[in-house]
Amino acid sequence: MSDPAIEAHDLSKTFPGGVVAVNGLDLAVPRDCVYGLIGRNGAGKTTAIRMLMGLLRPNRGTARLLGADMWTAPREQRARVAYVSQAQQVHGWMTPEELCHYASHFYERWDGPYARDLAERFGIPWQTQVGLLSGGEQRKAAILLAFAARPEVLLLDEPAAGLDPIARRELIDEIIDVLSRAEGCAVLFSTHIISDLERIAEYVGIMDRGRIVTSARLEDLQSHTKRVQVILGDTLPPGFKLPVIPGTIRSTVEGPVVTAVVRMDTESQLDEIRRIPGVRVNVFPVGLEEIFIELFGRGARGEFMEESL
Amino acid sequence: MLHLQIDPHSGVPVYRQMMDQVKYYVASGALRAGDLLPSIRELARALSVNPTTVVKAYNELQHEGVIEMKHGKGAFVAEAAEGMSAGELEKALRHLVRRLAVEAAQMGAAPELVLRVVAEELESLNSERSSD
Repeated sequence: MSDPAIEAHDLSKTFPGGVVAVNGLDLAVPRDCVYGLIGRNGAGKTTAIRMLMGLLRPNRGTARLLGADMWTAPREQRARVAYVSQAQQVHGWMTPEELCHYASHFYERWDGPYARDLAERFGIPWQTQVGLLSGGEQRKAAILLAFAARPEVLLLDEPAAGLDPIARRELIDEIIDVLSRAEGCAVLFSTHIISDLERIAEYVGIMDRGRIVTSARLEDLQSHTKRVQVILGDTLPPGFKLPVIPGTIRSTVEGPVVTAVVRMDTESQLDEIRRIPGVRVNVFPVGLEEIFIELFGRGARGEFMEESL
Repeated sequence: MLHLQIDPHSGVPVYRQMMDQVKYYVASGALRAGDLLPSIRELARALSVNPTTVVKAYNELQHEGVIEMKHGKGAFVAEAAEGMSAGELEKALRHLVRRLAVEAAQMGAAPELVLRVVAEELESLNSERSSD
């Protein structure tokens, strides 16, 4: 693999007062790849992204975009990277047109016609002061600025927050367009709207307490996680105890039905259970949101599989 | 244009869903040998999915002999694909029927009842079609 476009090694940040926000985070995202970062509120997603962007200095470890530390990188290097932050601060007195004019001096690959085109498609009033736009429109203006910069790395922190379903779909379609272009762009985006990830993320990282506890190809996560349902028949002897289903992450018992979310390495890991007379085993797929809830819901351990890119 | 229905939340990888549906269309005769499939970009855009997912589906379908990718011309349904259609049709059907069987068993429905309802549904679908 060529050098990753987005890279973090042992990245850590403790805020004054001892709050550990990020704790030994490792990450590597290649070009042309969409990496989705999910995690509960306070998991450290925003802090990690701000360190990658060079807006916050880590206490330990390294963060690099396109091979450079953004904290010290020269302007030309930073202009190859775009970022949409959770709490976007755009200059409220400027119009989108003026903002674009301003940004075009900073970004070498600034694409003016594309910016106009996006404004039209997103329905952003071109000559109204940004401060007078709605929250959703301001968000879309920030997204426009990031995309029109034609960056090689795009960091999106909760870009879909405050967008309606149609605007969210437009955002996804724009990301798809960016990916279809020849020049290659690495996209990292954090979200708690997991359904958005399932359409476009190639890799998914699950963050918890400042670390990435699971990082895997989305399709691998999907094909290796199943809901297994075991139905105990009437013919079983009294006092029968079902052995633990191999790979169980979490299980519940309801009458004669045992349901478990299971990490499946091979189909044959259920053979032993299947062979018990009077027991029926069904296997169902599990959506990403359910996987996430199973991992982090009440009583869950929050550990699943660790595979780095 | 090929119409695929993707449910990204089902837990079944999206590329798998795409493969299953293309195979189903070939098996049912809706797609025939030589038919052109949408370009990767078109399909990614139409379904709002990552282009790499479409690439993966097309590569796997090519590997299984269902489609052929001709450089610069696009993806076509392979000549050999129609021959395997009966087996693929059964496979696709079995997948659906297994779900029905599981759910029916959970409701405690007797097998005879399930078979009767399925037969009746097929019957009414047929009569709807013939009255069109």
